[in-house]
Amino acid sequence: MRILAVDDDPIILELLCQFIEAVGDHNLSTAPSAIDALEFLESNPDDVFDCFLFDIQMPGMDGIDLTRKLRETSRFADTPVLMLTAMAEKRYIDNAFAAGATDYVTKPFEVSELKARLNTVEGLLEARQTRTKKIFATQSLAEDVNTVEIFEPISIYDVENVIDYLAMENYVAQLSKQSLFGSTTFAFTIRQIDAFHAALSAFEFYSLIQDVAEIISDTLVGRQYLMSYAGSGTFVCITESGWRPDMQQLMDAINLSLARTELYNNAGQRLQPRVSAGGAIRLVWKTGNSVMEALAAAHASAEEACVAFEKSQSKYFELGQTA
Amino acid sequence: MKDMMNELPGIDRVRGRFLEMLEQRQSAIAGHALAAWDGQTLEDINENLASAQAVLHQISGSAGSLGWADLGKAARECEMEIIAHLEGPDADLAICPGELINHLDVFVTNCREVIAAQRTPVEAE
Repeated sequence: MRILAVDDDPIILELLCQFIEAVGDHNLSTAPSAIDALEFLESNPDDVFDCFLFDIQMPGMDGIDLTRKLRETSRFADTPVLMLTAMAEKRYIDNAFAAGATDYVTKPFEVSELKARLNTVEGLLEARQTRTKKIFATQSLAEDVNTVEIFEPISIYDVENVIDYLAMENYVAQLSKQSLFGSTTFAFTIRQIDAFHAALSAFEFYSLIQDVAEIISDTLVGRQYLMSYAGSGTFVCITESGWRPDMQQLMDAINLSLARTELYNNAGQRLQPRVSAGGAIRLVWKTGNSVMEALAAAHASAEEACVAFEKSQSKYFELGQTA
Repeated sequence: MKDMMNELPGIDRVRGRFLEMLEQRQSAIAGHALAAWDGQTLEDINENLASAQAVLHQISGSAGSLGWADLGKAARECEMEIIAHLEGPDADLAICPGELINHLDVFVTNCREVIAAQRTPVEAE
């Protein structure tokens, strides 16, 4: 991988040079500040970078603003960014992921840890390359066959507070080390996602997911949250600041917005997606794996709500029956 | 950090450079701490504390990876103490907390001990 590391501490940059030399297979460039990094990238428009390593606290522009700035460009909209920082407080972690960071490593770091994180980035790049090829191949050929698997957690760009699923997993891993008193997780699932997946091309399906993400994001505007598409039509969210969402109300607001938005497939037929919401699960006193389990439970609860809704539409005669 | 020491062949060079810089950095921290303590205005005090914090931040980020975990931890504690003051209720008063200066003084002494121990490893043992 071609990597650009930005840190105002020359010792960290030297350490990273030693590290890259030792692990091999990577090519490292360095910059002593965010401004230098931006100038370097601008003056070398043909340079391709596969991964960025950014310190957070730097004089002038910090690593979070640098990430935000790069995410605004199409060139680096999805290049993995690893924050390599001594700032372990939750507000920095939240801001870094919201700005578009893929992962967060706290200093002092160890060789094995950094090596593992870079391996994960490599895996992400390979998976993403394959998926992007599939999506855009079908767009150009206008094929009807959907070559993106329904369960794939497609990356969504340019939607406020929506992050990659890998970044969400990494965010949760960081959260599990923190106090989660005001945190809650919840999820939404697009109803009849199987039917949409079967009927749409990969590009149309991707566009549908992107549009629904945008509508959910607009509905949650003003709240502090991060959201990710987990695959199979489900969006998982984590919210902060003690807000306990009323899921019924949120679901109604999203569905109302979806009903008002005109979405079409390539043939000009209108698509009318709706979502079901699962329960809101508080993360207080959860640590380690139990945070990830709570996310999985929120995911499952939204899918169950979806199944229950579909059942209530087709098997209404069973309503009210008890065993 | 044991794995850094074992796995990175050029780590000794980086450690040497860290010590060279620690010499300058500890003296910069001492200078800023003194200037903050003697400062008469809010700007004098807070700007010097912020400058000391920036240097402490750099030490806390790399010392642990290079085998000086305690020094890194101590730098981080001083850094957090400065941040707490600069973001706390006294941030808009021309006050430099004596306890904070005392902690910075202890930290500067720690730095000097680390530098001395590396220069004369036999005596230090």
